[in-house]
Amino acid sequence: MASQLKPERVGREPGRVQRFATAHQPPGPFRRSFWRSPVRGPWLTAVFGSVLLVGIIVMFLTGLLSYAAYNPDLPENDLTSDKGLLGFYLFPWPTDPVWLYRFTQGLHVLMGLALIPVLLAKLWSVIPKLFDWPPAVSPAQALERLSLLLLVGGAVFQFVTGVANIQLWYVFPGNFYSLHFYGAWVFMAAFVVHVVLRLGRMVSALRSRSLRQELRTDTAATQPEPPDPDDLVSPAPAAATISRRGVIGLVGAGSLTLVLLSFGQSIGGPLRRLALLAPRGQVIGDGPNDFQVNKTAAEAGVTAAQASSGWRLELGGGPAPQLLSRDDLLAMPQHTARLPIACVEGWSTPNQAWTGVRLRDLAGLSGVPEPATVLVESLQEGGAFSVTSLRRNQILDPDSLLALRVNGAELSLDHGFPARVIVPANPGVHNTKWVKLMTFKA
Amino acid sequence: MRRLLRWYGSDPLHLIAMIACFALAAYAGLKLLSGDLVGILVWFIGAAIIHDLLLFPLYAVADRSAQAVLRRRSATPPQVPWVNYVRVPALLSGLLLLVWFPLIFRLVGPYRATTGLSQEPYLGRWLAVTAFFFIVSAFAFAFRLRRERAARA
Repeated sequence: MASQLKPERVGREPGRVQRFATAHQPPGPFRRSFWRSPVRGPWLTAVFGSVLLVGIIVMFLTGLLSYAAYNPDLPENDLTSDKGLLGFYLFPWPTDPVWLYRFTQGLHVLMGLALIPVLLAKLWSVIPKLFDWPPAVSPAQALERLSLLLLVGGAVFQFVTGVANIQLWYVFPGNFYSLHFYGAWVFMAAFVVHVVLRLGRMVSALRSRSLRQELRTDTAATQPEPPDPDDLVSPAPAAATISRRGVIGLVGAGSLTLVLLSFGQSIGGPLRRLALLAPRGQVIGDGPNDFQVNKTAAEAGVTAAQASSGWRLELGGGPAPQLLSRDDLLAMPQHTARLPIACVEGWSTPNQAWTGVRLRDLAGLSGVPEPATVLVESLQEGGAFSVTSLRRNQILDPDSLLALRVNGAELSLDHGFPARVIVPANPGVHNTKWVKLMTFKA
Repeated sequence: MRRLLRWYGSDPLHLIAMIACFALAAYAGLKLLSGDLVGILVWFIGAAIIHDLLLFPLYAVADRSAQAVLRRRSATPPQVPWVNYVRVPALLSGLLLLVWFPLIFRLVGPYRATTGLSQEPYLGRWLAVTAFFFIVSAFAFAFRLRRERAARA
């Protein structure tokens, strides 16, 4: 089984090059005696590894779902248009339950935050391996080290781009969606191979010490692990200043701290105040329009003048385009739906009471009662998501609205006055604000 | 064939796994690099080394300094080692800073335009959370000291 094999152990005596290299180790971290921690070893590495195994799988699946939620096969929706085979799994995003995207994306971001201390602990735990000397004793080991470059580089790349994006710090070298999607696949290629090759070793390391015993072992009783074939255990460990349960407790406390100070922005309501350091942890007020705004009218370049009484909604796609004023829309049968707003950044609002015209009524009015898609255009000129598409199931859902009012009051300009789309389970940016044109296609 | 595998240094499954990994990584990697090639490479390789060559030296040196102070301050080992009562709040608040520093230091240009909110509160909140961690840790240390003294009495 590949998982039981270490490249340098299979069928080789140390060659001349390897003996020379071992006799001439560079100073500092390349010498094993540099690493003094008495708690570093295969067991802690395996503990952190097993948590990451589960967590990274959840991250990958929720991440894939997020891309699917954007319905990238529809016009204008795909921000990673050269995805090729990597989009093999895509499927029409449902509208039921209404909190679906809220859940998958909230889980993605919160799990990501929770894993940061675990990832850091794992990197701490295996850092002596970066300075393995000689760098490679065989082509197999060289390839494995290259795959580890992709693993570590990919993991940190994903976490850094993700954390920068959720606080709107767009310093990365390109469009977030492309970087994060392709980066995920590069990382997962290395992750799968890493798991395949190391799973056996992880399981045997976990079995080598009892978790219950370690949880009862205090600092004074902490002993180093026996020497391991991976050279993680220090040959000359210092006295323990923290126990293994202390290290696990510290990492757990880190995850708990990050999650407790962030989850409020995904739940909303009074708990939002708890999210002290999260980007959407500030409560605006308790008025009908005082839920979180994504992109103010000022940023979108939409003026009050454009949204005033001269505004018309254009309905296209049928035999003749129609122009409707806001009063025309208010005269049509109104429906109220309780729907949240959920963003790719992981925050969301609780259900708001949106009142407006059903999208399927607008489809019927435009002359396309059985639409396959609708192209929705905003007053916002250009920029991301100024034009998006919705799918048939989203148009025909009875709770999908062109909202004119929210929570019993007029929509504010920042929330999309005079009219915005709101569709259950839809990513926030596809609930287009300041709608000016809807073109239905059969 | 056997000579090839001996030269390779591992079994055929290992080689197949490596080839599969690099094939998928190359397919996705080419798409990743189709934008700002140099920028993305710098970010990716930087990501691979930033913990081991930047973050680790920083916290390892800080930790060893703290331990050195512990050893120097008392000829005999102290009744209760205080290093963990400094480590835990320092690492927790350092972790929060590491994750949220763009907001804490108000580096996010588009923040107000996008959210309508201000970045102003974040520095104060982080300092308050840090103070809270250290105060709780100080109380925990004081209780531990009292318990040790009571046990010896």
